[in-house]
Amino acid sequence: MNHPSHLLPLLVAGPLLGAALLVACGSRLPRAAAEPVGCAVSAATAALAIHLALQSSPPLVEWVGDWVPRDGVSVGIVLVGDGPALGMAALASLLTLAALAYSWRYFDEPPRRHTGSYPALMLLFQGGMCGFAIAGDLFNAFVFFELMSVVAYALTGHRVEEARAVQGALTFGVVNSLGAYALLMGIVLLYARTGELAMTQIGRRLDAYGPPDALVLAAFVLVLTGFLVKAAAVPFHFWLPDAHAVAPTPVCMLLSGVMVELGVYGVWRVYGDVFAGPGGIPAADLHRALLVLGVLTSVVGAVMCWYQRHIKRLLAYSTVAHTGLFLIGVGVLTPAADGGVALYILGHAGVKAALFACTGIVLDRYGSVDEHALHGRGRELRGVAVLFLVGALGLAGLPPFGTALGKALTEEAAGPALTVLFVLVSTVTAGAVLRVAARVFFGLGPRPEEHAAYETTGAGERPETRRRLKRVPDTMSAVPALLLAASLAVGVAPGFAAAVEHSVSEAGSAGAFTSAHWTLAGVLLGLTSTLLAVALAALAVTRREGLPGGAWAGPLRRLQSGHIGDYVAWLLAGAALLGALTLPGVING
Amino acid sequence: MSRRVRLWLLALGGAGLAALLFAACLELPGFGGDRHPYGERAVRESLARRTANAVSSVNFDQRAFDTMGEMTILFAAVLGTVVLLRQTRDEHRAQPAPAHVAPPVRRYALITLPVALLVGLYVVAHGQLSPGGGFQGGVVAATALHLLYLGADYRALERVRPVGLYEVGDALGTSAYLVLGIAGVLAGTAFLANTLLPYGTFNTLSSGGTVPLLNAAVGMEVACAAVVLLARFLDQAVEIEENAVGTEESGE
Repeated sequence: MNHPSHLLPLLVAGPLLGAALLVACGSRLPRAAAEPVGCAVSAATAALAIHLALQSSPPLVEWVGDWVPRDGVSVGIVLVGDGPALGMAALASLLTLAALAYSWRYFDEPPRRHTGSYPALMLLFQGGMCGFAIAGDLFNAFVFFELMSVVAYALTGHRVEEARAVQGALTFGVVNSLGAYALLMGIVLLYARTGELAMTQIGRRLDAYGPPDALVLAAFVLVLTGFLVKAAAVPFHFWLPDAHAVAPTPVCMLLSGVMVELGVYGVWRVYGDVFAGPGGIPAADLHRALLVLGVLTSVVGAVMCWYQRHIKRLLAYSTVAHTGLFLIGVGVLTPAADGGVALYILGHAGVKAALFACTGIVLDRYGSVDEHALHGRGRELRGVAVLFLVGALGLAGLPPFGTALGKALTEEAAGPALTVLFVLVSTVTAGAVLRVAARVFFGLGPRPEEHAAYETTGAGERPETRRRLKRVPDTMSAVPALLLAASLAVGVAPGFAAAVEHSVSEAGSAGAFTSAHWTLAGVLLGLTSTLLAVALAALAVTRREGLPGGAWAGPLRRLQSGHIGDYVAWLLAGAALLGALTLPGVING
Repeated sequence: MSRRVRLWLLALGGAGLAALLFAACLELPGFGGDRHPYGERAVRESLARRTANAVSSVNFDQRAFDTMGEMTILFAAVLGTVVLLRQTRDEHRAQPAPAHVAPPVRRYALITLPVALLVGLYVVAHGQLSPGGGFQGGVVAATALHLLYLGADYRALERVRPVGLYEVGDALGTSAYLVLGIAGVLAGTAFLANTLLPYGTFNTLSSGGTVPLLNAAVGMEVACAAVVLLARFLDQAVEIEENAVGTEESGE
């Protein structure tokens, strides 16, 4: 029998083969056959990822093509099957399965004679994400980074009839491609210095070379720029709301639930394996850089989230805000914080994907995602209302959701000052979602007044289904329910949190084991942010004239101009900022 | 942002990044040095597996997993193009009118076509021996077919180019590569392990183990992908037109 590590490449090859076969049979396959095949392949991959994750202590390592190192050197590509890698692969696979099940007979107009193309694209996306998650080789990570990007552009622009979709996908494509070029340039610099591409090997050679210099700093800045663009950290984040506003809802579930988080994961992986040694970037500098960018990201994301009325944009900004919190957690650089972030990511994925799924139902029934225009119209969707409400509470970090546990552990590791930020950010983002729930599904408060000011309202969107839904299909409501249940299970399943913590610290270099469990302080903090969010939403709903502080947030909102040139300028400025933040340690080192 | 602010921001960020890159480039190893840690290892392994073209050995053996990803990127890009450039509800197809082609152009194109096609296939088949391989040869072969568009007209091209068939070829080429990879796992070694076939005689067509097979799979994938990609763009340029306001869908 094969050693389990030989099965690692199948996490990538399986979905890719499924996609290729779906395309090959695309013209003959009826839609009713193509979609179950897609679901079956993604489910099998998810099962494999979980199966391998259960055997990942000690971590699995696989040299593709059997190029096992001789005398410590190899010409091949290494795959890493540790807890975090397989966890992310499993998360990506499960969310792909959820998105495929949700979009069962969902899309209007599959291209003629190409019924298999949508599930095939989703499988390619899954393969790309799994490949990125298990990559132990920096160039290989770049290849799969590109694969998931290319597929994501196509999926985002799926509704080409609408100019907005083309614009959003184009913005996404340009900004993320620039990020990819930055990543590639960083890899080139590292390869020039070390002659290696496997991450741990690069790290070892850097340490042997001596203290960090300008080349190491530049490589670090470029590689991180690539991952932070994917993670939508401020000021690289502008593509994300524009893409989420136009992407089909099941695609948003994947973008927000796991793809963005893979950017954070990339930062964690590449710092730990490449730059953590004495030849890399000192820990204090990484801490400073991630703290500054993380705080900026979470504050900007939360403020922008609060002032949206386009529900998908609102949820997109909440993802930006939470990514900021994840980055802060990674920047703390302790195993306890890493474990907390891992749980937070898992819990957040379920909650956020469920919220998008509910929004999709609203869109397909009313042809609008405008909080104001939908006022009170969602009253008839009782089940969806409950799901949306539960999702909002999960986002706030109501115990015992996985989000609450992950947040509490990260807060504990990050210290009291940052804890305040964590509570505020989850309060504001969840408050905004609760406000939407109160207005749309319960018709609470007066109908908000219209302003003349230009803003993206979310009215006049086209439903993604063939015709407006008269009743909600069972798959479309079962998927968010299951996702919420999964997010809850992350928090309550006995032993799950401890297993995640253990595998994360085993994968990190620290090796110190911590035990993850609920603490009284954590529960109280979770309850606090939930209550504050409810209060904030209540305050907003009872006011007729706009939202408080609207004038103050105006300049910030105008930065999201939709102009690709602006976004590119911000990307360059962000990379320079990252360099400035990391510079001191290299000068002193 | 106003144009002015944008340019300032761009200049500021660009200057910072440029300074960083400049400083980094001063630390690069000197140009043309004799230290090539990876190159030496790769050539050694390539010769050990009797693959004369070391680049192909890197692409299709030592780092064949990267090539799988790259091939899939092309596959995904083509599939994305097929989806995005589809004929939407507000568009219809119009039959393009035959265009006049100057006789010298026609003669030249028709003479070059078979030669170019043969060169493409040759480059694919000799990937393990000489510069080239599936990616390069595939593009040459696909371009050769399009000489028909220059030499005759769009309808002649459409006759030799049933796009549906090429889409299947694209997918089958990709599948073949993946199946060759999985064969390694089934055989009890590793994914994409080049241990299933004899390495053959150095510098002959049958050398390098699975390298020629992977090369052929990629060649097929790339040739078909390039044909489909060009077909989709040509369709948009030549055949698909936007409906006038108020007319219903016509055409197929």
